Amino acid sequence: MSELTQKTYWKSLNELAQNKEYEKFVEREFPENATELSDGFSRKGFLRVMGASIALAGFAACRRPVQKILPYSKQPEDIVPGIPLFYASAMPFQGNLTGLVVENHEGRPTKVEGNDLHPASGGNTNAYHQASILEMYDPDRSKYPVRNGAKSSTADFHSFVADYFADTNKRVAFISEANSSPTYNGLKEEALNRFDNAEWVTYEPFGEDNSIEGNNIAFGRRVRTHYNFTNADIIVSLDDDFLAPTHPNNVEYAKQVTSRRKVTSQQDTMNRIYSVENGFTITGSYADHRMRVKASEMADFANALAATLSSRISGLNSFSSVNNKFTGSEFITVLADDLASNSGRSAVSLGFDYAPEVHAVVAAINSALDNYGTAINLLQVPHFDNQNNKTAFANLVSSISDGNFDAVVMIGANPALTAPADLNFTQALSGADEVFHLSTYNDETAKTASWHVARSHYLEAWGDGYSFGGARAVIQPQIQPLHDSLSEIEFLGAITNAGKVSGYDMVRETFSSFYSRNFENRWLDILHDGIDVTNGFSTVNRSARNVSPAPSTAINEIEVVIKPDNSVYDGRFANLGWLQELPDPITKITWDNVALLSPATAESLGIGTEDYLGKAKQPVLNIAVNGTPIKLAAWVQPGHADDSITVHTGYGREGIGRVADVSSESSQLFDPETTSGGVNVYPIRTSSSMLFAQAGVSVTGEKYSIACVQDHHSLEGRDMYRQATLAKYKEKADYASFESIHKYAVPGMKEAAELGEDQPISLFNEQTAVEGEPQWGMAIDLNACFGCGVCIIACQSENNIPVIGKREVERGRELHWIRNDRYYMGDKENPQAVHQPVPCMHCELAPCEQVCPVAATTHSDDGMNQMTYNRCIGTRYCANNCPFKVRRFNFFNYPKEYLTSGEDPDIIQMAMNPEVTVRFRGVMEKCTYCVQRVNREKISAKIETGSPKPADGTVQTACQQACPADAIYFGDLTDENSEVTKMKRNERNYLMLEELNVRPRTSYIAKLTNPNPALVKETNEEYAH
Amino acid sequence: MSKYEYIPEPALVKGNHDFASITKLVTDVNLRPTPRNWYLAMLPANALLGLLLVSIGYLIWEGTGVWGLNNPVGWGWAIINFVWWVGIGHAGTLISAILFLFRQDWRTAINRFAEAMTIFAVMCAGVFPAIHVGRIWVIYWVFPVPNQMAMWPNFNSPLLWDVFAVSTYFTVSLLFWYVGLVPDLATLRDKATDKIRKVAYGLFALGWTGSSRAWWNYEKAYMILAGLATPLVLSVHTIVSFDFAVSMIPGWHTTIFPPYFVAGAIFSGFAMVLTLMIVARKIYGMKDIMTDDHMEKMNIIIMVTGSMVGFAYMMEFFIAWYSGVEYEKAIFMLRATGPYAWAYWIMMFCNVISPQVFWFKKLRRSVGFTFFISIVVNIGMWFERFVITVTSLSTDYLPSSWDYYSPTAWDVLTYVGTFGLFFTMFLLFLRFLPMIAIAEVKLVMPQGDPHNYDDETQEYHPHVEEVPQPKAVKA
Amino acid sequence: MSTTESKNLYGILAEFKNPKALVDASAKVVEAGYDKFDTYTPFPVHGIDKAMNLPKSKLGYIVFGHALLGFSGAIAMMYFMSVIDYQINISGKPFFNAPAWVPITFELTVLLSAFGAVFGMFFLNGLPKLSNPLFEVERFKKATDDGFFVCIEAKDSKFQADLVRQLFEEAGATHIEEVYEQ
Repeated sequence: MSELTQKTYWKSLNELAQNKEYEKFVEREFPENATELSDGFSRKGFLRVMGASIALAGFAACRRPVQKILPYSKQPEDIVPGIPLFYASAMPFQGNLTGLVVENHEGRPTKVEGNDLHPASGGNTNAYHQASILEMYDPDRSKYPVRNGAKSSTADFHSFVADYFADTNKRVAFISEANSSPTYNGLKEEALNRFDNAEWVTYEPFGEDNSIEGNNIAFGRRVRTHYNFTNADIIVSLDDDFLAPTHPNNVEYAKQVTSRRKVTSQQDTMNRIYSVENGFTITGSYADHRMRVKASEMADFANALAATLSSRISGLNSFSSVNNKFTGSEFITVLADDLASNSGRSAVSLGFDYAPEVHAVVAAINSALDNYGTAINLLQVPHFDNQNNKTAFANLVSSISDGNFDAVVMIGANPALTAPADLNFTQALSGADEVFHLSTYNDETAKTASWHVARSHYLEAWGDGYSFGGARAVIQPQIQPLHDSLSEIEFLGAITNAGKVSGYDMVRETFSSFYSRNFENRWLDILHDGIDVTNGFSTVNRSARNVSPAPSTAINEIEVVIKPDNSVYDGRFANLGWLQELPDPITKITWDNVALLSPATAESLGIGTEDYLGKAKQPVLNIAVNGTPIKLAAWVQPGHADDSITVHTGYGREGIGRVADVSSESSQLFDPETTSGGVNVYPIRTSSSMLFAQAGVSVTGEKYSIACVQDHHSLEGRDMYRQATLAKYKEKADYASFESIHKYAVPGMKEAAELGEDQPISLFNEQTAVEGEPQWGMAIDLNACFGCGVCIIACQSENNIPVIGKREVERGRELHWIRNDRYYMGDKENPQAVHQPVPCMHCELAPCEQVCPVAATTHSDDGMNQMTYNRCIGTRYCANNCPFKVRRFNFFNYPKEYLTSGEDPDIIQMAMNPEVTVRFRGVMEKCTYCVQRVNREKISAKIETGSPKPADGTVQTACQQACPADAIYFGDLTDENSEVTKMKRNERNYLMLEELNVRPRTSYIAKLTNPNPALVKETNEEYAH
Repeated sequence: MSKYEYIPEPALVKGNHDFASITKLVTDVNLRPTPRNWYLAMLPANALLGLLLVSIGYLIWEGTGVWGLNNPVGWGWAIINFVWWVGIGHAGTLISAILFLFRQDWRTAINRFAEAMTIFAVMCAGVFPAIHVGRIWVIYWVFPVPNQMAMWPNFNSPLLWDVFAVSTYFTVSLLFWYVGLVPDLATLRDKATDKIRKVAYGLFALGWTGSSRAWWNYEKAYMILAGLATPLVLSVHTIVSFDFAVSMIPGWHTTIFPPYFVAGAIFSGFAMVLTLMIVARKIYGMKDIMTDDHMEKMNIIIMVTGSMVGFAYMMEFFIAWYSGVEYEKAIFMLRATGPYAWAYWIMMFCNVISPQVFWFKKLRRSVGFTFFISIVVNIGMWFERFVITVTSLSTDYLPSSWDYYSPTAWDVLTYVGTFGLFFTMFLLFLRFLPMIAIAEVKLVMPQGDPHNYDDETQEYHPHVEEVPQPKAVKA
Repeated sequence: MSTTESKNLYGILAEFKNPKALVDASAKVVEAGYDKFDTYTPFPVHGIDKAMNLPKSKLGYIVFGHALLGFSGAIAMMYFMSVIDYQINISGKPFFNAPAWVPITFELTVLLSAFGAVFGMFFLNGLPKLSNPLFEVERFKKATDDGFFVCIEAKDSKFQADLVRQLFEEAGATHIEEVYEQ
């Protein structure tokens, strides 16, 4: 084990010993005791939360469930009870579609998967797509139109708009979410033609506006920057977290980036990723080199990079004079060399929210590097407005408040929450006499509207649109709208042509206009494939005109940086329990947002930085941006830029739903801080500080408890995670083997070798595999995984895993079947963060099985470690004896309250996967390798071929299918040519805790990094593990 | 005068007692009207018992979640208390059986008492494995009874061995205790004056007459039972230790567990007997039978077993280091320096340091001091189980799953409640059953041995020790 | 107790002053050739077995039988359940997993033996026997306190009331009386 980690190991222990625990002990024991005394209430608290997350539902939830089932009186065509049907559709996010395939059981959608024909998906998804199914069945969704606070109906709405908008001289302000739908934009044109005094603004709180404006500066065109990372050997991300679901195109990008890091032999090459950022992003954790730079200094950095490049390549002369703290720094010099020597095969990207001028600089750099046309494309996007929407929005709001508009029509979007605070959006609306708002939830904006209309979920209504890269597709509904709601086009249609037109007709009409002949067949193909044309946008070929350096925005004091949240984004997903409980990829925090700051900054503020086990109460900070304060719990984030604080949006909601709302229900006697839902940070986000601002920061006396699923962050020099540099790999292929790490063979192997056996010697002759049966195994490529956590949500959706609420997570009872461990390595100030997904290992000699007194967990003929729920009596011995700690226990009857609560629990039950049992209180559960999918395929294979061995690739586990990095391989180990067998044959393949001889069926492909030799420090030597 | 000085064995029964007075001394406790203080003692005991029932009820109603358990730490106070109580439950049968086989006559003063304690302690212990499971209503699946699944229990599981071990131990201890009681119940039957007692005691005395032919089989049976109980005692705690030792968690997976658990059990068991004895003999004026010599002997055993336990602790460390297994090394360092160091050092002080004071005869014979240490020791043994159970689970192989465990009010209340069960049972015992094995005490009185009588006159004259005089060495 | 001839004699009961006297007396009784007699003491008296020349107790065999039953029963049960009736692959271990079966086999052996010892003893002693002519004798209550008794039963072939009384007097009984059946 490495000297360095060894040191931190003892260090952290001493810290633990420094009587912290005594205080913690006293501090901890009593509040906990007290909290429990009133547990009855607290459970109400989190069960209330569970109420809104379908995963909890299921028929086994009550001890003796009474459910009426009705037979089909007339059997519908194609529907065979028990056999799921799959239909194509697509999910819009920030106006960009991702193609999906939706699993339907007896006519109800239960799970979404990626559509491999669709370029933005390639067969995979991200956490938002997976969770969207939950959104449709969310009982807190707006269920009917509301007229001045009173329940109304779409019929009333139609008749109202029919005569209200009859007068086409009405002065109408349209505020719309980004929407790429050709139908929708057609209606937009109609609207603008119909109403002479109408204005239209597209508003997205975290949209790509600045990048478009940047391109406008550089190229004189409002075009979209679309990367093709497959052609990039060098990728430089300037705080652009393109791997995170917050990026509208992260699935496609993730596939591209990771595809260049799939190494199967010593001959293979890898791309190299540089990340320059203030906070720790997923992209940063995946990068080979990461530099901490304050967001406010990013402009300087970009200028300095351009300047350094100007001496190496032509086209950046305007920067040659630039000189700031970054010019001449080792990192930037090496980076410039690397880029210059890879011109045409590199890509520099910048976070959307940076100023247009900085985007222009980056455009200039890429242009000078000849990256356009190869690694980057400029796309002419038809539906872009020909205006700077940010400024347009600001102007519109002020003119609304000046009373220049009779009606404000908002299609989606939630500006009352997300609009820059200085615009006083809510007050402005009082300037108009009618405010129409279409939204999924009865949210902040809806409450200000005189007409709130419930919005149909994309799985309920017809629609269409383009992907980020320009693929055109149709959004195909899977089910009749559950509530009295309208889709965007139906809503807009009702207003513009003042008549009720069905979404289907409108979409069909739009597409028929694309095809002069043979439309019928084409239409059917489009619906079937879920994709029309793969590239609907024309590319622009231009080089940047002389771009001048971006003005410096450096802040010398502490800056606060506002970013969209990985889980709830700008707040639109705040009521989805799955996402709320999805641990943040880096911090592993659930249910709350925090103020992230570096250890150094924390110390300067007088906040302790040692990590100890257990529920830690976090000190609450007071963060003030020009006078406006917010209070947020501090969280020490190793690798965060100093004098910089990152906060995330979307939390601290009121009156949205049972999950999103800030609730102190769970708060307890002695423990008033235990609330969930986080803090709303929009109040400090103004037009002048959309991304960052100077902040006055002080530590309040208060404490706030945070539910974090990982309490210990160092590997303690252990070998669970193994990695090396590409160079090292080329020297020593088996760098990850047990022997090369420990310098001795796995115990028992030497003796076994003498006996000619390939497994360590043992007392027994074990029975591991049954002849003629497939033997299932999994391999996880740590080189591909970047830690997004979509596997967790996919698993939750597939396997009916309950959401348990903040207090339960806080008590360390997280229920996810697959978790994603994150370890920090290297130096404390700027460590490397690595991700390791851990599902059940399905050990051949499973230690959990032999300790169960009632044989509730046993081994199947096809080599799976199986959990028999209805045999389990709940001794928890198996969980104790699991070295990987992957078993999960139902401490309470999590599903029950849920089934009996809410106005209409039936809706919630519709989302359950009927192929998976819902677990009752007191039983153990864990990853099953998606046994229901395996058996479905085994049966059909048996019917077709007579052998229970399905063809390779026909069985996909939920986590594997969702993973945009294709990091997970699953298949039959008896098949010599299956993908998983090939991966397991790779020298980098290793077993966790191999020395225990439990023989896991899940193995890992060791990580590789591709650092620039010029930047490699000796410390990289310790990357043995 | 010789340089040798002969110190005779102290008499087992102090004061000049004859058979009748012994009988009276012991049986009076059961036969005289119930004293007020007994009720006063019963009140708190029952209150605690009620508390136990309430906390169990709430547990079953709400679910295991009312306890502080979490993901890495699947076993907490429940299992700790189980092991602790079972450990205490070992002294009784041990004192009876092993000391009987070794012909340690001084056992007669305390064996009845200790056996009763055993049975009640095992009852308290038995509560926990039963209630700690997630689905109490199907707990019977651990027994090999046919059920709707046509499934049988898993005989590879240490937990199942435990089921058999503990239930066997309870049954055998109960039989052993009852067999010992039969002659004394007969005595009570014959002493009793009121009808109810006559009938009740008579029923359980099974019509014992004291016939020598009966005594003949009786002694044989008692001897065999002692012979069976001895290995049983050792096996039971060995098997309890298997719950840990057979698993593969660092700090659990150690071969030293069986002997060291047994030593610990005897250690805590004797401590508990002392605690109870010192109180009882004071209240019931049994100083003549439960003498300070008995106390001293037990203190010596406590000191010895305490040192054995201490040795085991050090051995664990050594082996962890010697094995070279990084997880083993880590867990023991974590115990001493990690998040639970406070518990570790409490354990060390109570179990290893405190008994060492018994090197001093003065302290060994000091009643108050012994009482104090006897309690300290049991606190220490509770913490030993805490350290073993919790530390190993909370910080095992994958640092990512490490988590801190702390109990909730319900963990604590349930534990406190078991004392209610224990003392309720114990008070009933003191009230209605002879707390001393009358027949056995008579047997070990000098008057009980025919050899102490003159062959001619058949008169009793206590037998005098021959003090060996060294021969004078010729010059 | 008055001698009502209606009741028929059960035997003659004599009390002796101490264990020693009892031992000597029972020796005399044996000498005189009686075999249907017994002595009653509050505790097992050393050497009385020789004096009464009691046969070796058969309890040992009973216990051994039970031990065998427990041992074989345990193995048979586990073998049937996990090898014959319902085979389950547990951690890849063989179905007949001998080492794991040792504890339960041991426990059941001890359990059955203990049953054998206790109930065997009661059986040999003819217990429970709640009614016994001796209980009618007020003085016999001392037998469980500090009295040492011999009783020769009328059933004895040699039994003659006067001879028996004489024998007891010679042996130095402190008190003699007849015991009658109910």
